[in-house]
Amino acid sequence: MQEVGAAFVGHYYKMFDTNRASIRSLYQDNSMLTFEGEKFQGVEAISQKLNGLQFQTVEHEIVTSDYQPTNGGGILVFVCGHLKVDGSEHPMKFSQVFTLAPLPGGQGYYCFNDVFRLIYG
Amino acid sequence: MEGAPQFKLLLVGDGGVGKTTFVKRHLTGEFEKKYIATVGVEVHPLLFHTNRGPLVFNVWDTAGQEKFGGLRDGYYIQGNCAIIMFDVTARMTYKNVPNWHRDIVRVCETIPIVLCGNKVDVKDRKVKTKQINFHRKKNLQYYEISARSNYQFEKPFQWLAKKLVGDPNLYFVESPALAPPEVAIDEGMMRQYTLQLEEANQIALPDEDDSDL
Repeated sequence: MQEVGAAFVGHYYKMFDTNRASIRSLYQDNSMLTFEGEKFQGVEAISQKLNGLQFQTVEHEIVTSDYQPTNGGGILVFVCGHLKVDGSEHPMKFSQVFTLAPLPGGQGYYCFNDVFRLIYG
Repeated sequence: MEGAPQFKLLLVGDGGVGKTTFVKRHLTGEFEKKYIATVGVEVHPLLFHTNRGPLVFNVWDTAGQEKFGGLRDGYYIQGNCAIIMFDVTARMTYKNVPNWHRDIVRVCETIPIVLCGNKVDVKDRKVKTKQINFHRKKNLQYYEISARSNYQFEKPFQWLAKKLVGDPNLYFVESPALAPPEVAIDEGMMRQYTLQLEEANQIALPDEDDSDL
């Protein structure tokens, strides 16, 4: 579980920072995203939101990541870290929670819940 | 600078419109800026000398949080005045001006606000002077600026200073040291924009919102 979670975290942020368009492959149509309080559901809506964000470049730096098994055979992932956009001098703090749900047929996991917040103010 | 009246100036607008470039033009502000990590803003103290004495605008520049969504109330609280900036080469940034205005007014109610259309040095602008009328609906002052060329840099500050001090005859007695211009401005083109703005201000406001943009 820990290994799967850690592999997901590595993969997710690498995709986010280098090839955001491909991040849609991690979601399914019942996936949910709450991004700074704004809610989205489904691959299209989520992908549109993430790819439409107003920065050109972003770098995430993961400081902590914690994992727990969920009731339904999935994995809860809780991440804290810093990120920098468009080469800004000052990193921003963020935290993000995912639950990874098993794909039908045991073909791995997909991102079912995704909640993102910047930490400031 | 000690003893000079200080005002918190909110600098808002979509990501990429040039807010940071704008505030960094003022050199002493750039030397004395302070980053407040907990709020995620860089505060630039911009000192201006007026005929009524020195005055400082503490300009709150974000680290880019607006690129993720609206800013938290903590950014707006105790704001004394504001600049809403958009980019005349990107329509969407003008379309979002009402949202920034709504957020300021929600927390700060009636503070003086200047609307600034940045990047007017660019030949191929997408938001034309005569299409800009949001300021007239909400009683804001509007200036066309070009941060990279310093064009009209002082104008928004001078207008805000007049309002905050309550003296319409206030003016700046010396210019602040600015970073050297990075682009040249076409004076003829700027005169044309000024004329267009004056003409547009004479025309009655359309009832329709900005659906033609």
